[in-house]
Amino acid sequence: MIRLESVYAGYGGGDVLQGVDLAVRPGSITCVVGPNGAGKSTVLRTISGLLRPRAGQIRLGDQHLNGRSPAAVIAAGVVQVPQQDGLFGQLTVRDNMLLGGYLIRRDKARLRRRMAELAETFPIIAERARDKAADLSGGQRRIVEFARALMTEPRLVLLDEPTLGLDPKTCQTVFETTRAIHALGATVLMVEQNVRFGLKLATDGVVMERGRVLLAEPAEELLARPDIAAMFFGSSAGAGTATGGPDAPGH
Amino acid sequence: MTLLLQTLILGLLAGGVYALMSSGFTLVFGVMKVINLAHGAMIVVAAFLTWWLWDRTGIDPLLIGVCLSPVMAGIGWLLYKTVIARVQRVDWELTLVASFGVAVAAGGVMALIWGAEGHAATPSYVTASFELGSLVVPEAQLYACVGAVVLLAALYALLRGTFLGRAIRASSANRDSAALVGITVERTMAAMFAIGAATTGFAGAALSVLYQFVPDSHYVWIGRILCVVILGGLGSFLGAGLGAGILGVSEALTSSYVDARWATAVPYVLIIVILLVRPQGLLGGRVRADGVAA
Amino acid sequence: MKAARGAVLGGMVLLVALVPLFTPDTYIHNLLILTFVVAVTASGWNIMGGLTGYVSLGHGAFIGVGGYTAGILAQRWDVSPFLVAPLGGVAAALVALLLGLATRKTRGAAFVIVSYAMLELLGQVTRNWSGVTGGSQGFLMPLPSWDIRFQNWPFYYALFALVLLSIGMTVAIRRSKLGLGLMAIRDDEDKAAGIGVRTPVYKSIAFMASAVLVGVAGAVYGYYVSTLSVGTMFDVVLSMQVVLAALVGGRGTVWGPILGAFLVVSLSELTNTTLGGADAGAIRLILFGGLLLAVVLLLPKGILPAASNLLERWRRGSAASPTGARLEDTPLPPAPARAGTTTGPSTGSTAGSTTGSTTADLLRVTDLTMRFGGVTALDTVTLAVPRGSITALIGPNGSGKTTLFNAVDGTYPVTSGSVALAGRPITRLGRVQRAHAGVGRSYQLPRLFDSLTVVENVAAATGEFRLTNLVLGAVSGAEAARATELLEFVGMGAYRQARAGDLSYGQRKLVELAQLLMLDPDVILLDEPAAGINPTLRRRLTALIRALNDSGRTFVIIEHDMHFVLSLADHAVVLARGAVLADGKPGDVSTDPAVLEAYLGEDLAVGADK
Repeated sequence: MIRLESVYAGYGGGDVLQGVDLAVRPGSITCVVGPNGAGKSTVLRTISGLLRPRAGQIRLGDQHLNGRSPAAVIAAGVVQVPQQDGLFGQLTVRDNMLLGGYLIRRDKARLRRRMAELAETFPIIAERARDKAADLSGGQRRIVEFARALMTEPRLVLLDEPTLGLDPKTCQTVFETTRAIHALGATVLMVEQNVRFGLKLATDGVVMERGRVLLAEPAEELLARPDIAAMFFGSSAGAGTATGGPDAPGH
Repeated sequence: MTLLLQTLILGLLAGGVYALMSSGFTLVFGVMKVINLAHGAMIVVAAFLTWWLWDRTGIDPLLIGVCLSPVMAGIGWLLYKTVIARVQRVDWELTLVASFGVAVAAGGVMALIWGAEGHAATPSYVTASFELGSLVVPEAQLYACVGAVVLLAALYALLRGTFLGRAIRASSANRDSAALVGITVERTMAAMFAIGAATTGFAGAALSVLYQFVPDSHYVWIGRILCVVILGGLGSFLGAGLGAGILGVSEALTSSYVDARWATAVPYVLIIVILLVRPQGLLGGRVRADGVAA
Repeated sequence: MKAARGAVLGGMVLLVALVPLFTPDTYIHNLLILTFVVAVTASGWNIMGGLTGYVSLGHGAFIGVGGYTAGILAQRWDVSPFLVAPLGGVAAALVALLLGLATRKTRGAAFVIVSYAMLELLGQVTRNWSGVTGGSQGFLMPLPSWDIRFQNWPFYYALFALVLLSIGMTVAIRRSKLGLGLMAIRDDEDKAAGIGVRTPVYKSIAFMASAVLVGVAGAVYGYYVSTLSVGTMFDVVLSMQVVLAALVGGRGTVWGPILGAFLVVSLSELTNTTLGGADAGAIRLILFGGLLLAVVLLLPKGILPAASNLLERWRRGSAASPTGARLEDTPLPPAPARAGTTTGPSTGSTAGSTTGSTTADLLRVTDLTMRFGGVTALDTVTLAVPRGSITALIGPNGSGKTTLFNAVDGTYPVTSGSVALAGRPITRLGRVQRAHAGVGRSYQLPRLFDSLTVVENVAAATGEFRLTNLVLGAVSGAEAARATELLEFVGMGAYRQARAGDLSYGQRKLVELAQLLMLDPDVILLDEPAAGINPTLRRRLTALIRALNDSGRTFVIIEHDMHFVLSLADHAVVLARGAVLADGKPGDVSTDPAVLEAYLGEDLAVGADK
């Protein structure tokens, strides 16, 4: 559905992405995993238009996304739920949801319809509509964020470390909600620090390291690999992961 | 007793005008956290324009003021694009210094065009007043107050009820997240700054009717505006209204009971006292350095 | 290079000193006198705004204070204003001291506003107090009492001397510990307090220093213009020109304000002579307002720093930046000994009081509650950290771990409860005092003074305050040796002279560690030390912590990385939703069902392993 070809991107101190080739199957839940500084979040930022790639192509079907503004990317059907501070704490849940439909704000009927539909799948939107988003718990906020992302009926949803900062109980909620989004018809491309969680949830898995894609396999197979475990599960003697280079922002 | 009541009425009416002057400033400060020291200068510019047009056409100054709003909005938008947006990326305090530079330069431009003598627009109702028993309520002040209330209510409705308002509040909370819902943050900020500037149209017209003004008047007015906003705290409209009332009444009381000469010192005294005693203002909540994390 | 620079500067100073001897043209004298006044004021502003970071839009007020004070006293006591000029300086310093007190609650933009309000208020007071000051009619200064042949030489040389004094004062401050502390305050005031810099005192001194010579200059200038008026002595445009001069020349540099003053006054004169007429004043305003704007937008650092940057880049050419290199797996140098064996005047006294104590619990928190607005972040938390342990503080997000650190190191006052260090209650102590008492703390995102070098960052950590220490060289003596030793220990020795702002995330963590070790803390609080760093650095950090622990330091570590925690800690405390959930050996705690329930979740495989 979306394809990255030889994408190079960075923040001025050198390229974080060093030639990323990535393809996401339509209808999949694809999870990108990798050590710190691998560039996972940067891939999402680049797709969403927050960062302009220095070189390479980002294709959505037959459209080119590279270099387009965040609003244009959303209009093309790609919405991201960022790592943190995605919800506007001082605004009500309802206001947040409405902002999810910012690009379709002139179509009042469609706006109302989407709100109603999403309230069915995610009742919390209606229950806490008038409350400030900051008053909700971490898990509840995540649900609202996910729901908000669906306001414009996107084809592709990007999740940037959806379990960041959440205790495992809430992680369960994230697990289920992601499956729910998928069931509603969206393709999901997610980035995860927690490898087991991500690969259990996903259908397809991708491993990134130092700005490049190392492996791309069905998630189950990836999870079963013995060398993957050595890389990510707390072993400090990870061969080939001793990077002295710049750490990605947010890590 | 009559003196006290009369003083209070005049003070409150003046407060209403101050609230009008500060409304645009409060909007920009409260949402963008930008302190635009050129706001006073913009009001005086609008006052000059109002006076000039009234002098030529005889149209009611307050009406002219309303029509000037889009003009001032344009000026504000320009100011944002050329100055404010750029400086914000550099250093926060320097935003004040830069806007102060703009204010001083604007004072020079006004002096160049219109000279340094005092002016005032004097429509028919400038000296008229309503009588409430033995109390006098000046008409012009009253109209300005009514205008202030209407303006503030409109701004509040804008922020709460429209998509632009939500976009503004979202952009000021987190630019990246706002971009990720499709908001063009730069355009939103510019729009908001322009709206803040638009208020100076009517405010300047009110100034031209109620007070004498010279190009250098912008110092006096920015002093009053800063006082109002600081009293009210953290850019809340309610706070600005409260602060304006307090300033107006304090000045009036000082004028009546102490000495008229000391009335002009009141804004500065209040600024210093509030910033020392209760920096968040009367209505602002406690400002915490960071949230409750981990 | 330095010798050449010195010669050029010396030559220029000499030239300016000799001008009155070369030419009797009072026009030129006047121009230079005005330049001197602006230079002294800009130099003073620079100490407040450039070195300490408090931007003032009202610095010209000190001219007025000095001028009126000297004028009034000269009249009262019937003496020459020159004699009482120093009192003008004293008065200005006192006003500045009061302004400094205001900074306890106002910083940044609020301070800019306060400074402006101060200027306007003083002007109003002076105008209204007409009995003493002459009010709007002005105040007449006595006539010059010297031979007419000397013209305005006394004014010229008095102000010239003040300029030289200002330069000298700025140089002295910049090189001293006082200056180092001020620049630390400028970069991160709260962090400076956290490493022991007594910020209120430093600021008071800086503020007084920034005003005293300006006050004296104001007295001389007032005498020079012979009629004091509120308009000229409390002129907001002068205040603006002063800021412009300092910014144009180079904020924080020694010669920048002087250069800026020459530029500003020359420009001012240009508008007077070429344009003249009634419009000159308006044009002047437009010019200066516009220039201020232009400088802030285009050249915010000023001419001198921009020039020296260019020079630096040209000289260094393509030499690789030292900060990009990779960290290598090298063996550790021996851990620095606790104080008592290594002595330094500012750091020795701190730990001695607690190393002798035999209390088993080094840190004890009792019934600690922290409430912010309506949120209870910590709810009657009681825990004890055994001396010599490495205690892990774990728990889900939002459980109050960082808040606990903030309560222990004094960042926030406690709502209720107590904190005791080695049996001694420290709840009432402020941030600075706790740093001196033996609490060291690091941050999740390392906080350093970005404009200073690495070694300056470490040397900025200051022990008990001693006035005489302030005049010592910034990085000198025993402190410098200790700073170097600590940097070698953490592995950043090669980066001593690198600018802290250029370092990578991992390097910053190491420097922050060295920094907090300067004060030889008894208990070291580390906030997620292993977050976001590569395995090599993680290994090093583990080794550092072990080595420090072996030499007698106690650690409390917040961490999410369970592997890191289990391998290092010998004691663990679990916080959940602001309350203690479990407290004991790491192995026991990680198998406690209540803990697993709250933190690790039902499906252990989902979320526990990394």
